Amino acid sequence: MYLTRFPVNTARTEARRLLGSPHFLHGAVNMAFPAAPPRDDQAPRVLWRVDHHSGSGRADLFIVSPVRPDLTHLSEKAGWPTLEEPGWTTFAYDEFLETLTTGDAWSFRLAANPIHHVRKSGTSKDSPTKRTAHVTRRHQVGWLLQRQQQAGFEVLRKPADRQLIPGHDDGAGDEHEVIVHDRLPLQFRKREEAGSRNDVRLVRVTFDGRLRITDANALRRTLTHGLGKAKAYGCGLMTLAPVR
Amino acid sequence: MTVLLLRLAGPLQSWGAAARFARRGTENAPTKSGVLGLLAAAQGRPRDADLSDLAALRFGVRIDQPGQRLRDFHTAHHADSGKSMPVSERFYLADAVFVAGVEGDTELIEHLHQALGAPCFLPYLGRRSCPPSHPILMGDPLNGSLEDALRNAQWQASTWYLDQLERAAGTNGASTDTASLDLLLDCPPAQTPHLSLRDTPVSYDPRHRQYELRGLLTDRTAPPPRHDPTVGLRPANLPTSDTAERSPRTP
Repeated sequence: MYLTRFPVNTARTEARRLLGSPHFLHGAVNMAFPAAPPRDDQAPRVLWRVDHHSGSGRADLFIVSPVRPDLTHLSEKAGWPTLEEPGWTTFAYDEFLETLTTGDAWSFRLAANPIHHVRKSGTSKDSPTKRTAHVTRRHQVGWLLQRQQQAGFEVLRKPADRQLIPGHDDGAGDEHEVIVHDRLPLQFRKREEAGSRNDVRLVRVTFDGRLRITDANALRRTLTHGLGKAKAYGCGLMTLAPVR
Repeated sequence: MTVLLLRLAGPLQSWGAAARFARRGTENAPTKSGVLGLLAAAQGRPRDADLSDLAALRFGVRIDQPGQRLRDFHTAHHADSGKSMPVSERFYLADAVFVAGVEGDTELIEHLHQALGAPCFLPYLGRRSCPPSHPILMGDPLNGSLEDALRNAQWQASTWYLDQLERAAGTNGASTDTASLDLLLDCPPAQTPHLSLRDTPVSYDPRHRQYELRGLLTDRTAPPPRHDPTVGLRPANLPTSDTAERSPRTP
């Protein structure tokens, strides 16, 4: 596995076009691999995410992939192609994944598409359900907490004296070390001619928080397979950084 | 060398370096005498104790959030007699956040780290009326140089301040200049300092406070990203055979 960081030159028109549509960026990321990435559910897949650094107008594209990507095309159109240093850095992710051990604490970031399935009230159990985005912070955090055990981690609990309502253990929505930010409803077009009815719509949110590893193998799977829906469109990639 | 990083954040801070008489100013960043005084107080040293070991520490500050200057027209009265005290002006920094670091001998730094965990006298930010709003310690002592530690420490600014910067960058074009942080470091003896301040403490004895001149070097650093997943990862080696082919910059 490889983790790649590509700094995006947001002053370039092409970079703005790519950052403006997950559809185009999905295509650009796919084209970093000579062979099409496998669509097997059991194999690790290509995951990507864009981190915007507040205040500076800078952005980083992170890619986790089973094979090493070649981002020359992106560097030429949305990077700094004439500088001497390579426009992106690929890191050996396997080595890092091996060092993960149960019980360790890490800070994490996850861009995700928290959804649930709803059925119109009053309709029978057989009627089809509709995939619907979670809208409120509490539901979005709830979505993450629901998946944490199977994904191999637990979000750390806040000490009681740092909670908004100390000692109130359920309902305040503030018991865990996690924040939700960059909540963004996305709507983009796959093809020029299609009407807005055929647009892709999804809600992407970013979770930042601290976790403790409960099952290192399951977490390795989460980090390389992704979490949740819309993985092609910049959701589902979780990364770890040392806790401060 | 070992480095100890301190987070200096609070509603008010005041770091005087040249205050005399009734006008009590503040510098834009914590002074060496102020921070060493905080450390000495945490260790429980009396006012007239020897400070030479602390004064020999290398000191540096990063300005994470500059804050605003606040002037207090001070008309206090004596608590018992009711007599008016001399009218004075006191200056504070409101809503500022700094990361200060001291670099030195491992043993001393470890001792300071323990002392700050259970301080003997309460720490305050330059003046007794300015309590810190966040824990001062930023984790265990680090190995390496002070400059690297200050450059790599997480950006401590408050969320509202970051949002404000983002909005400002949005309205007047993407100016990356707004997002660089100032560094102030002790000047090594061989170099010419950019600034000098009289704030190296010799004695805090209230009967005869003494400070020596200190040279400072100034620098700027890009703020580190708030979440960097590549910390501690090794860049994957390129296969040597096709390096030239893969290089995006072959003429």
